[in-house]
Amino acid sequence: MSAAVARRLLRNVDVVLVATTFALVAFGLVMVYSTTRAGPRPLAFVHSQLLHLAAGVAVGLVILAVDYRVFARGAKWLYLANLVLLAAVLVLGRTSLGAQRWISLGPLGQFQPSEFAKLAIVLTLAKHLSDRPGPYESLRDLLPFLVHTAIPVVLIFRQPDLGTALVYGAILVGMLYAAGARQRDIALLGLGAGALSPLLWHLLHDYQRRRLLVFLDPSLDPQGAGYGLIQSKIAVGSGMLWGKGLFEGTQNVLRFVPEHHTDFIFSVVGEELGFVGAMVLLGLFLLWIARGVRIAALARDRFGALSAVGIVSMVAFHVFVNIGMTVGIMPITGIPLPFISYGGSALMTMLWATAVLVNIGMRQRKILF
Amino acid sequence: MDRDAFERRLGVLLAVIAGLLGVLALRLWQVQIVQGEYYLRLSEENRLRVTPIAAPRGLIVDRRGRPLVENRPAFTVAVLPTEFRHPDGEIPVLSRILGVDPAEVARKLNEARARPFAPVPLRRDVPKEVVAAVEESRIDLPGVVVEAEPVREYPYHELAAHLLGYVGEVSEQDLRAFPHAGYQPGDLVGKAGVERAYDQYLRGQNGEIQAEVDAQGRVVRNLGMVPAVPGDTVVLGVDLTVQQAAEAALGDRRGAVVALDPRNGAIVALVSHPSFDPNLFAAGIPASAWTRLVRDPGQPLLDRALQAGYPTGSVFKVVTASAALDLGIVRPDTQFYSPGYYQVGGWTFHEWKALGHVDFIDAIAQSCDACFYELSRRLGADRLAEYAHRYGLGRPTGVDLPGEDPGLIPTPAWKERRFRRPWYVGDTLNMGIGQGYVLATPLQVARMMAAVANGGDLVTPHVATEIRAPGGRVVARIAPPPGGEVRLSPEALAVLRTGLRAVVTRGTAAAIQIPGLPVAGKTGTAEAPHGKPYAWFAGYAPADAPRLVVVAVVENAGFGAEFAAPIVQRVMEAAFGLSPAGDPRP
Repeated sequence: MSAAVARRLLRNVDVVLVATTFALVAFGLVMVYSTTRAGPRPLAFVHSQLLHLAAGVAVGLVILAVDYRVFARGAKWLYLANLVLLAAVLVLGRTSLGAQRWISLGPLGQFQPSEFAKLAIVLTLAKHLSDRPGPYESLRDLLPFLVHTAIPVVLIFRQPDLGTALVYGAILVGMLYAAGARQRDIALLGLGAGALSPLLWHLLHDYQRRRLLVFLDPSLDPQGAGYGLIQSKIAVGSGMLWGKGLFEGTQNVLRFVPEHHTDFIFSVVGEELGFVGAMVLLGLFLLWIARGVRIAALARDRFGALSAVGIVSMVAFHVFVNIGMTVGIMPITGIPLPFISYGGSALMTMLWATAVLVNIGMRQRKILF
Repeated sequence: MDRDAFERRLGVLLAVIAGLLGVLALRLWQVQIVQGEYYLRLSEENRLRVTPIAAPRGLIVDRRGRPLVENRPAFTVAVLPTEFRHPDGEIPVLSRILGVDPAEVARKLNEARARPFAPVPLRRDVPKEVVAAVEESRIDLPGVVVEAEPVREYPYHELAAHLLGYVGEVSEQDLRAFPHAGYQPGDLVGKAGVERAYDQYLRGQNGEIQAEVDAQGRVVRNLGMVPAVPGDTVVLGVDLTVQQAAEAALGDRRGAVVALDPRNGAIVALVSHPSFDPNLFAAGIPASAWTRLVRDPGQPLLDRALQAGYPTGSVFKVVTASAALDLGIVRPDTQFYSPGYYQVGGWTFHEWKALGHVDFIDAIAQSCDACFYELSRRLGADRLAEYAHRYGLGRPTGVDLPGEDPGLIPTPAWKERRFRRPWYVGDTLNMGIGQGYVLATPLQVARMMAAVANGGDLVTPHVATEIRAPGGRVVARIAPPPGGEVRLSPEALAVLRTGLRAVVTRGTAAAIQIPGLPVAGKTGTAEAPHGKPYAWFAGYAPADAPRLVVVAVVENAGFGAEFAAPIVQRVMEAAFGLSPAGDPRP
């Protein structure tokens, strides 16, 4: 790589996107500390999160160093490796009952292949969509992409992880739409998924079904599964305009909000930082998403553009479903809040996804002066 | 699709996402600004209290469903640190009512500082009078609560105590070692035996009640409840009847008895004596009782069946015979002559009896030391060690109970490392008859006999066979695969089994005939470091199609044939329904 090329690549780094990402990560670390500091080792969770942050940034830098089209060339292997990992969870997870989403890495902790799988599916689906550029004139033309996404979803559903499976749906719809599928066909896909839902219902765990039912009718079980939902709303609502102040929340200390450092971390944001803090966080996410869409528009090829769309769809869906769940407008499905929730696999996946976005932006078609 | 169309669609996509985030913003406005006052009141105005509902621990039942460990309803007096605002005034009152040392109360409260909202149990299983006294002094004792918490009950007291284990408050080490296991300080967890090994299944999941309380700490109303999930039932392969027979047969003597199914490794009985009463631990063991148990020279907490390596004595001849047969050093009709001693390199090794001329089958049946000295010398220590390892000696069996001892199979290299002394031929001779440095647990010996009985599979011994949910649904079946194979030629195995059968028909254990049940086995009389020898018998039955292996060891008793073989006989009679009291099984 010549010095001139390197300079051009560096000039094209989306500084706003990078800065937004680090602002989100910092926001997340503070909230993780706030929710986990009770106990004999107040920094244990932050420490683990920092380790994963370091690993995420290190691998992210490696991703930036190579042209993103390497993912297009290796798409087939990426797809296969991904399926193998997801299958490994089913096989290895069987020994540790009830924790099948995880693979233990001994002293390195555990990792959750279904998180990484999201990014793998975005990249491989983008390659698939650029190999078959359309035009897509019927539902049949979309079938290969449906199968492409459905195979890993089936593996994830066996775990079963409803939230992650739904993320794939969002990624597929976002990418198909951007790739030029007819709106009618996408609508038909949605109807098809709706028709399948009784079957999916059958595959869910009892606790997942209860969560969904409670969302539809909270009065159904106010003392059982509705409990977390009510507590989360109390936490968010009691923050009012300015919040109770950082580290001043009481709902989460009282353990009323379940999983308050992972899936329900936003209820603590709402409680401690109030409406203002929540708007700042939403603003950061909107800025991040807008920069991602801009990169999709500038991308030099169809693979890059569609990868960017897939990543944006993934993050946007996470944000909407996660926050929506803490305020009672989305069902409880167990999806983390990107960059914010405690959880190493999710944090690293999001950082790598950001690195891919920045990479696509660095190698855009127009050279900006 | 052209670039313009693509960019148009990107615009739509961004608009949709922005719209969704807008919906979130509107909803947050509604919850935080419009209804904020209401939620703030809910979160602050009323005092909220969360108290755990203790999940009943799962039962432990024998193979026919008879409960060996149950729960009994009881009350626990606990303190809620946030509402316990006058410790100086309250602690003396409380410790007088409960009969607990005030320093102990202060220590427990101090330990719980990290979790100020969780109740701190002060005394479990308090008598009714004490509950009444606490209720009467309620006004003087804000922050003190009485909770219903079941207490573990072991209806057979000392029976199978080592196997079943006991419970206790989770230790700080455990909390640190398993931060994600969901243990909370003050929780009762399994500390030994099945209680510990299967704690994850037995413990269930505590529930909680979230209640609104007034300034006096009285519950105004319950806001929410997560019910407790009772623990799963652990089904053991143990047969209570056989266990009782084994306990009775061993009696007051120190030692151990193991009975297992050679076909799958399921443990049918496991006795270690002296024993203890796990009920002592159920509500927290008093310090004095604990000190007594730990200081007892009989070491009642030690599970002699698997946590102690014994010299095996002649039971080890199973290994020596296997090696000699497998390597072609000996044939069934090989003739030996025993003058009552054996000489090598200027040393003389005496044996228990001058047997004169014997063939190899009789050498096993009569436990001829001179014959086995000769075989050991020809085999050498390394080959003896190799066959001992093949039988799984010198390493843990992998049984599903904690604290297993690996035993010891010496080699010349080991002795050099350990003692910086060379290996002598005398060491080899001692090893060949299970003396010297050789150590094995009764469980390892049982597995060795099981391999002989089942044709060479090193089964993995296990006490549990099934985990059942409280409703009876099977959650898990426990059938660990064999830990390896002995890899002995079928001919060698057949000769060995003929020899072991002869031990009972005409050899050292001829006294334990059971009508209708052909038994095979091997006696052992191992020199002990102090006092009389350890008596061993390891046998299986029926000799032609074995379904049960029984091993007994009695410390400082005397001859294996005289003191251990009768125990095995009684256990087998009970297991096969041949004793007057028993009924037919398995």
